[in-house]
Amino acid sequence: MKRSLLAVTVLAFALALCTSAWAGSVSYYSSPYWSAGQGGSSSFSSSWWRSTMGKNASFDSTVTFIDNVSYSWHSTLRGYDTYLATQWFSSQVKKAHCRANASASAWAGCTAWN
Amino acid sequence: MLRIGTLRRSIIVVAIAVAGGVLAGSVIAAQRGGDVAPDFESLQAAVAAEQMTKVADIAGSEGAAARGIYVQELDTGHLCVWDAPSAASRERQGGCNSIEEPLGGSALSARLAYEGGPAIESVRDARLSGLAGSNVASIVVVMTDGSERALRLKEAKLSAGDFVAFGYRFKKADLRKGVGPIAVIAQDADGGEIARQPTGIGG
Repeated sequence: MKRSLLAVTVLAFALALCTSAWAGSVSYYSSPYWSAGQGGSSSFSSSWWRSTMGKNASFDSTVTFIDNVSYSWHSTLRGYDTYLATQWFSSQVKKAHCRANASASAWAGCTAWN
Repeated sequence: MLRIGTLRRSIIVVAIAVAGGVLAGSVIAAQRGGDVAPDFESLQAAVAAEQMTKVADIAGSEGAAARGIYVQELDTGHLCVWDAPSAASRERQGGCNSIEEPLGGSALSARLAYEGGPAIESVRDARLSGLAGSNVASIVVVMTDGSERALRLKEAKLSAGDFVAFGYRFKKADLRKGVGPIAVIAQDADGGEIARQPTGIGG
């Protein structure tokens, strides 16, 4: 019985993790105000393929991916749009990254998608 | 009988635990998904579902494949502009604005997409794309060495209004020398500046 309970606990935990992974996106950084150079990054993962930044007002910002070997930028996109999206289909381990290129009094949030 | 009883209890416990696990996972998923603003989730869903219309081209050159500039006018009330290999490609890079302010409140809305970097010299491909108001007669890109690149404009008549569309690929020779864009300028027919948008590689 104890073995069964242990197995069940492990299974339930694994299921919980799997289900959350299927959610498809993780919001990794947001701020109500931005200064030039301010930004954030997601964790490193091979499963990220889309990096987005949503804002409630237009301002100059960048979304990109940074690999964990050369730390090069990939599929970088810079623009003023209230929603910026870029895709990088690669099995390489990477993190999504977003940053402001100018100061802004606007809320914006950055999301990594898997 | 004892074995069957134990088995039944185990099955019931497993079933409850699995249901609990799924529920817990769903709650975690909902919480993580909830971090994304709902309107951006619906916007992204519309982007994935609705068709793209080509408004300009980026010619292939120096080993880089040709691409197109595509527009989406979405039911969510957004106008999106994408730089993509084709209308069906998921490898798109671009952005969206409210249909009320499709150029973000300016006469010009440009996006810079590039591969490599952040140092200009290590950038392998860099492209500029976007829309401008129909009153814009010309658009030039000011480079870090002070030189300018004139963009070819193409009329784009959309439901949201009349615009000019553009797509441009920067020359690798410029990038290798560390020469990149610093601003995009929209001009009227007399060469007067209508709008200026700072840009650049590496932030």
